[in-house]
Amino acid sequence: MSSKPAVAMKKMFFREAIALAVREEMRANPDILILGQDVGPFGGSYREFDGLFEEFGAQRVRDMPVAEAAMVGVGVGAAAAGLRPIVSITYMDFMMLGFDPLINYGAKLRYKTGGQLTAPVVVKTTAGAKGQGVAHSQCIEAWLMSVPGLRVVAAATPADAYGLMKTALRSDGPVVYVDHKRLFPVAGEVPVGGDAVPFGSAKICRPGSDLTITTHSFMVRTALEAAKLLEKDGVSAEVIDLRSLAPLDMKTIVESVGRTGRLLTLEEGQITTGVGAEVVTRVIEHLGPVQFTRVGALPAPISSNRILEAACLPDANRVAAAARLLQSPKKLVSSY
Amino acid sequence: MLYKISVPQVADVEEIRVLEWHREAGEAVEKGDLLVELETHKAIVEVRAGQKGYLRKILAESGNWQAIGLPLAVLSEGENDPVPEDAQALTDLPVDFEIT
Amino acid sequence: MTDQSPTAKLRMMKLIRAFEEALAARPDHGFQLISSGEEAVAVGLCSSLRPQDQLLTGGRSIGPAIARGVDPSRLMAELLGRSSGTNKGKGGRGHISDPASGFFGAHAVVGGNITIAAGVALALQMSGKEAVAVILFGDGAFGAGALHETLNIAASMKLPLLFVCNNNQLSVSTPRSMALAPARLSDIGIAFGIPSETVDGMDLDAVSAAISGALEHVRAKKGPAFVECISYRFASHSTTARETRSREQLTEIRARCPIVKQSGKLREAGALDDASEQELDRLVAGAVEAALKFADASPMPREEEALQDVI
Repeated sequence: MSSKPAVAMKKMFFREAIALAVREEMRANPDILILGQDVGPFGGSYREFDGLFEEFGAQRVRDMPVAEAAMVGVGVGAAAAGLRPIVSITYMDFMMLGFDPLINYGAKLRYKTGGQLTAPVVVKTTAGAKGQGVAHSQCIEAWLMSVPGLRVVAAATPADAYGLMKTALRSDGPVVYVDHKRLFPVAGEVPVGGDAVPFGSAKICRPGSDLTITTHSFMVRTALEAAKLLEKDGVSAEVIDLRSLAPLDMKTIVESVGRTGRLLTLEEGQITTGVGAEVVTRVIEHLGPVQFTRVGALPAPISSNRILEAACLPDANRVAAAARLLQSPKKLVSSY
Repeated sequence: MLYKISVPQVADVEEIRVLEWHREAGEAVEKGDLLVELETHKAIVEVRAGQKGYLRKILAESGNWQAIGLPLAVLSEGENDPVPEDAQALTDLPVDFEIT
Repeated sequence: MTDQSPTAKLRMMKLIRAFEEALAARPDHGFQLISSGEEAVAVGLCSSLRPQDQLLTGGRSIGPAIARGVDPSRLMAELLGRSSGTNKGKGGRGHISDPASGFFGAHAVVGGNITIAAGVALALQMSGKEAVAVILFGDGAFGAGALHETLNIAASMKLPLLFVCNNNQLSVSTPRSMALAPARLSDIGIAFGIPSETVDGMDLDAVSAAISGALEHVRAKKGPAFVECISYRFASHSTTARETRSREQLTEIRARCPIVKQSGKLREAGALDDASEQELDRLVAGAVEAALKFADASPMPREEEALQDVI
């Protein structure tokens, strides 16, 4: 009889779930190291690496200069040569600087070498708008979903922050792990010692019957708020937390929309070629035409200005309004 | 007169974890005494008594969680004032809180 | 390469020259970057490396791959798109990879392999192994931010990384002097505290000596080193790029042949004569013929292989 350690549910902050997953994996695997700005004694910009420098030391938790292209390249190269780095990019906006090593080398490595080499690197990055302005607010995960060879995940709860990080650190290729500024204050129950959350696994976090809302990251909370508003109007919304953007869990999504008949996709990023565009297209390929609408940020850079930021980002009211329109048979156009 | 201590309104925080009580139920407290340390997602908040009194009942023990605005403990001016069941209706004790 | 005798090194340079010429002569040669004229850089570098060291290059990869000891037959197969190639026919020249031979790989993005090489060096450093990583890049990559970021990180982390800049003084059509501010590219080492040197890349022995000296520093765990080799390429940038130099200029350039130079040196030293040189040429021709034969006998990949090894 195998002795699997018992799973203990423990309430903790989102950042603690990340730190715990990383700590457990670093204890189990000496090849894991962290590269980033302020990851060492500072413990990470959001304290998501708290205590790791103290336990594992400067060799495995390394503060790097601000040079995202080189930092990602070093992480990818080290992965290709046998290590398992986490490259921490504090703002997702700055991932763009590391696109060449991540995409042109890391994601293509297995293919271009005919299977000889692979780069098991986790690029962990924080997306989302929170008053910090046009270059510190973006959610660009949709840009990465189409890269062959790259996996993209986004947790919305501390439990999944834990489970997805474990999966990412055990992957055999590059993974982009997206968290969100507005998720760090969130606390939740985490199954410590529990199973990792696999790639390609979405979760129905609120069952419903009148429409399906697919979403990810912080917008899952917005969707749940909207679902509460809709309940008062007698509309039952099923909310699916995608968790994995590449690969998508189409089985769960298609089964849900097959039941509800209506699809609302929600993201904080842009809807043009967004996550929702891909979900809608694939659902229609599976089921034929369905009533759908996409909700996302307005097509403008997200300013640090409080009024303008709020005007651009989806909130529960906007989502509920879009969902109500979806109930009527009118033809819908998403707002570009 | 009875008071409650509530979880302070800290910007951008929804709930906190109670880290450590520095006073026990039944103890006298002076103005400025450190009553409890709370943990937010970012930092530790030290809650200090804004006036003297007696700590009568702790509502959220160390290691437990509490939402912003909800009560953590009941205090009274008199050592033996009767403590009510429901603390939510009580006046908030003036406190100083420091984020470290 | 295991045999580092002067004759073996001459043979290796001849092999590179003959291999690339044979490749370029094929109607199905594909998109190739030929290194004729730059053989002393490849051989001078690789003859100083140990089996466990890892070499990474840019797109002008064929000469260095051969010099590093990648099997010429599997290399030719890869260049001609056969599934028996080093990369199953999927990488081509721009991505030749044979880590078992110490050729970690080429990468076709100019400057794109430099940061990667630093990562490989970090892995070697953390493994405690004696091996070092080497990144070979051209003057065309010298202006890239990736180089400067990597010099900083390599120096700061004392990575076991050797930077070798093959300055053939032309980036497609742009002369070095028009693109790059420093006259001596190795001067960049000064800014980062990295020992650096500029040598004549047409002189095999000068390259070998400079590389050996630099490697000593790197192997002693003192941090990175930088060697700039000044060379000339005898052909245009690639098989699709137009030649930018005049016939007179090219005649003058080709007169600096490193193979002729090395051959002359060995003859003067009495280590080579007509008969022995002809024997070398015969062996080289045989190896090239065998490579072509192997490639031509190999199948192209099946269509289904397009979706294999993606993730």
